[in-house]
Amino acid sequence: MDKYKKVLKKRIVLLTALILLVVCIGIYDVFFTTETIKESFIFGFQLGASLAIGIMSVALMVYYLKILADDKKLKLQYNKENDERLKTIRAKAGMPMLFISSVCMIVIGIIAGYFNPIIFITLVIVAAVQLLIGVVIKQIYLRKL
Amino acid sequence: METQIASLRKERKISQEELALAVGVTRQTITSIEIGKYTASLPLAFKIAYYFGLAIEDVFDFSKCIEEMEVDNG
Repeated sequence: MDKYKKVLKKRIVLLTALILLVVCIGIYDVFFTTETIKESFIFGFQLGASLAIGIMSVALMVYYLKILADDKKLKLQYNKENDERLKTIRAKAGMPMLFISSVCMIVIGIIAGYFNPIIFITLVIVAAVQLLIGVVIKQIYLRKL
Repeated sequence: METQIASLRKERKISQEELALAVGVTRQTITSIEIGKYTASLPLAFKIAYYFGLAIEDVFDFSKCIEEMEVDNG
């Protein structure tokens, strides 16, 4: 279990870095972005997405800290992450590649969106549909297996 | 696949959660194995059998597998 504790501690460090990055992006967005960019709806999406990532990272960090303080919760979380049935279900639902490709699409969409909003809309819709399909397949297999 | 897990648990007064915790899976996985929805991998089957102090074939019913094999081989 000590190995898993180290893994969780590494995740907490990574989440802290992500939160700091989101804060930096937020400060840049609010104080240094030009008015022209601020008027774009993509700017609003980017700001909202950054805020959501920040909040989710904080929540996940608190969750991991709570787990680290309780040995039973730690063991339960370890079992949940290494459960062979859940691993099979995740693989059948195309995770984690589906999630990674969706995140990449959204990031590329935001960058490309400042030049062409149609690319942004297309990529975000594709990413959302991809994630939705993954979630639906996961739910089907959770009932099936 | 049919198993004796549920009856062995009841016999020894072990909860699904206790068994799950001991063999390194979730409680839901134990439920799925017990009702025959999910077939455990060989390492997991071994862990469960080892937990009960029995051989794999005493916990898991392989009669259908044997039947299938016999049909396939004529």
